[in-house]
Amino acid sequence: MKTEDIRIALLRIEGTNCEDESLNALKSMGARPEHVHLNELIRKKRNLEDYQMLFIPGGFSAGDYIRAGIIFAARIKATIKNDLLKFIEDEKIVLGVCNGFQVLTELGILPGIENLWEEHPGAVLAPNISNKFECRWIYLKKERSVCPFNETLPDKVFSMPIAHAEGRFMLPENREKYLLEKMIDNGQIAFRYVDREGNFEGYPWNPNGSLYNIAGLCNMTGNVIGMMPHPERAFFDFQNLEFWRGNSETPGRYIFEGILKHISRKF
Amino acid sequence: MTDFYERVDKRFPVFLIKIRDMNIKELQKLSRDLGLSLNRDEMIRIRSYFRSLDRDPTDVEIQAIAQAWSEHCCYKSSKHVLKKYIIGIDSPKVFLTGEDAGVVELDNDHVYVFKMESHNHPSAVEPYGGAATGVGGIIRDVLCMGAKPIALVDSLFFGNFDYPEKRLPKGMKNPRFIFNGVISGIRDYGNRVGIPTVSGITYFDPGYATNVLVNVGCVGVCRKENVIRSMVNKPGVNLVLVGGKTGRDGIHGVNFASRSFRSGEKVEKTAVQLGNPIIKEPLIHAVLESVDKKLIHGMKDLGGGGLSSVVGEMVLAGNVGAEVHLEMIPLKERDMAPWEIWISESQERMMLAVEDDKLKELLEIFDIWDVDATVIGKTIEDEKLILYYRDLKVMDLDTHFITSGPVYCRPYRIEYPGMKSYQTIPPEPDYKKLFRNILSSPNVTNKSYIIRQYDHEVKGSTVLKPLTGKLGLETHSNSSVIKPFENKNVGLAITSTSNPRTMKIDPYRGSKGIVDEAIRNLVSSNAVPHSLADNLNFGNPEDPSVMGQLYEAARGLGEIARYFDLPYVSGNVSLYNQTNRKSIPPTPTLMGIGVVKDIKSVVTVDIKKENSVLYQINPTFSEMGGSLYYDMYEYESSVVPDVNADMLKKAMENLLSAMEKGLILSCHDISDGGLAISLSEMAIGADIGMDINLADIQNIRTDFKLFSESNSRWVVEIDQKKEKEFLKIMEGTYVIRLGYTGGRELTVKDGDRKILSMDLEDIRNIWNTVPR
Repeated sequence: MKTEDIRIALLRIEGTNCEDESLNALKSMGARPEHVHLNELIRKKRNLEDYQMLFIPGGFSAGDYIRAGIIFAARIKATIKNDLLKFIEDEKIVLGVCNGFQVLTELGILPGIENLWEEHPGAVLAPNISNKFECRWIYLKKERSVCPFNETLPDKVFSMPIAHAEGRFMLPENREKYLLEKMIDNGQIAFRYVDREGNFEGYPWNPNGSLYNIAGLCNMTGNVIGMMPHPERAFFDFQNLEFWRGNSETPGRYIFEGILKHISRKF
Repeated sequence: MTDFYERVDKRFPVFLIKIRDMNIKELQKLSRDLGLSLNRDEMIRIRSYFRSLDRDPTDVEIQAIAQAWSEHCCYKSSKHVLKKYIIGIDSPKVFLTGEDAGVVELDNDHVYVFKMESHNHPSAVEPYGGAATGVGGIIRDVLCMGAKPIALVDSLFFGNFDYPEKRLPKGMKNPRFIFNGVISGIRDYGNRVGIPTVSGITYFDPGYATNVLVNVGCVGVCRKENVIRSMVNKPGVNLVLVGGKTGRDGIHGVNFASRSFRSGEKVEKTAVQLGNPIIKEPLIHAVLESVDKKLIHGMKDLGGGGLSSVVGEMVLAGNVGAEVHLEMIPLKERDMAPWEIWISESQERMMLAVEDDKLKELLEIFDIWDVDATVIGKTIEDEKLILYYRDLKVMDLDTHFITSGPVYCRPYRIEYPGMKSYQTIPPEPDYKKLFRNILSSPNVTNKSYIIRQYDHEVKGSTVLKPLTGKLGLETHSNSSVIKPFENKNVGLAITSTSNPRTMKIDPYRGSKGIVDEAIRNLVSSNAVPHSLADNLNFGNPEDPSVMGQLYEAARGLGEIARYFDLPYVSGNVSLYNQTNRKSIPPTPTLMGIGVVKDIKSVVTVDIKKENSVLYQINPTFSEMGGSLYYDMYEYESSVVPDVNADMLKKAMENLLSAMEKGLILSCHDISDGGLAISLSEMAIGADIGMDINLADIQNIRTDFKLFSESNSRWVVEIDQKKEKEFLKIMEGTYVIRLGYTGGRELTVKDGDRKILSMDLEDIRNIWNTVPR
């Protein structure tokens, strides 16, 4: 299908707050993103099946007072779970950025190492090791993966901003080694935190203390994707922290580009 | 005393208060017992009014009057001063003023809306909740003009962390506790509500140990035709209360904010409101969607004074009245008395005036967002406020009387330090030690430990971020720049300035310097200064010397702004910032907005490359009064830096032309800590050193060259090949060649004499000191 026919639902509830810039980014690429309130899906004012991509943007859904993303996930599970499962089985794209990643993890559809949908969350995005909210730019390097943007992302160190309090990716301790190896074998790791030279270092380069410096990943089939860095904030050249120092890289654009290309080819 | 109260209805608590029979002592007791914070004369005026009506008031009526007459709501001490100096700087760009926030024209189609407001008293009692609700309140002020909030600013003044516990009056909270509460409050509210916190001040001084200042600002943008007035101008319009429920939180907040603290005092927690960003966030969406669909006739936020203020002011402005049914209002607690419902300052509420034919569509929008929206009454032809609780009429008052609060022309005494001018001449300092001391002062060090807790990039439009430079080595920006529109390259530069050190010594010159700094900060980022908002924080206005400070500050703020045609489009006054008769340093805080023609031409602080030339713009004077150097070493000086408006204006125009030609690689203004600190911050963000010689700065002491905080100065970086072109454009402005960029050290000489040489890594480490 053509890019201009790709319909994207930007799902929101109270406290979702990165939907406008995400919409602008996707719109500027020629796709058809729309804001969709969860209540509109529940009340059947809109249907999930009309879309090729579901995008859960960043924010503090329902306030994130308990654990980030858990309330939004619980509401989805209690209402549109079957529609969403069909969406995933149809190999349509589900993307979660920041809070959206937390929601997908709480839902049990990420990391999706052994099953498409786990009854209990298979991983957790724990509080940062600095134990505080941090908003700053960090360096990333991509891994070889089955994520749809694997080709479009450049093969060198690039930078994007993060802004979260709970972004430390962790697997169950007793199966950590096994699951991580499986993730690597499956090509599920999209990109990892690195230092300026591209080395895998600890805090502050790894801003939250994530296992294996994981910053973004996808499920085993590559159609459900989660990431802590914000592509919509690294989409235009002037958004780049170092734009004023001559750095006009736009890694966020490459990520969306890869996803849209994938959808065009597939549907 | 109980004899003066008569219960009117058995079912719920409404009382008649027999004010007509009271003597003066009894009136004063009434004011205290009901928490009205009204003085003797004001109580007498109320008594006379009801004597003339030939009836006694209900408790609802008395409470409503006390709300409206509080300092917070009617500016009774400051109105006079503000009118004289600050209000009414004529400018064609002012679109609308005198509303909840100032509205300024940005281009043919758009306006921007902004305001700064204090939340000092609540933050002293409950730092977390007080600061959070401050953020919530200012967002509503901008939202209720129909504007989309795009940025937050916060200027905070704390006591030092090492303030001796013993000196804290009983019942006062420790400065560190207050600091942690305030920062977390702003973080948790601002981040959740999804509006970037992009600029601000964090200042430490013992003068704020018992009175923290929390000044919060918000900027929004709006299409011109969508600007909504805070009024209803015809009868029969529905009053729709939207957002949060009404509770007992925030009762008597405004009355409480209009007086001083005493030690050992137990302040009612109920006077501080509770914020909930997760009601506010969808409220913003629902309101903006309704604005876009043109469903709203008038709108105002509920802040100080609650429903009482908001309904009263909206109908008064449109020369109508209102009839409201209190039992319709959704409550947090079932058993609230009618007067409590009417004056509660519960957060996250707004009042929308909606005509009958638009009502259904509006209620549907709020329903999708799960936000309460309730019709609580209608406007009426008579200019009266009539309240019912179920079938009982509990208030029937003339709108003009309620809002006719007194205006005072309080006595003032101006203490001119300028008349007996003096300045200590200290021995020459150990430069390295002095430099280290200033660089590690909590008012100079790297503020990233605060800034990074705020999401300053949400909405993706923070083009120039508060921290800028090489990734991982960022330095402080002069101002932040937001790109408010998707399809336009225009930017809004935002800054906030204040200077308690100079204000303590000379409020007139100090205030002039604060305007100067706002202009400098905006120009540094290549923005044309456009408009200002003021937030005046002072002590007890009943003290003539405090009133004197207010007069002098207003005079200074007015003078420079007028010269630059910079209107004050909104303002806020916070008085009674005193504890046990000790007032805070006079603290006017400004929020300045500048317009950037094309965001891609923004200039930043960090040095861009090696072998560039560095220039200082405008001369340095021996004005050491209020400098960090003198303050830290306790040297006395009454000579606070003055402002030569002519010189500043010429330099500003020249510098902006040089920026337009792309000649300025980086730029930083010179303020706290003087030239030495400006150079350091420019070097830190780039990881590029400098070789400086101070010989060309005119004939003053070397330590003054490095650490004087004279106004109107900048440092700029120029490509060597463009030097001639730069000098030509700067004609008419005094410029001083300082040296070159390069290397890994900051080296300073004065002529042949070596003054300072320090590795950049060391400088960064000292600057990274986190206050403990």
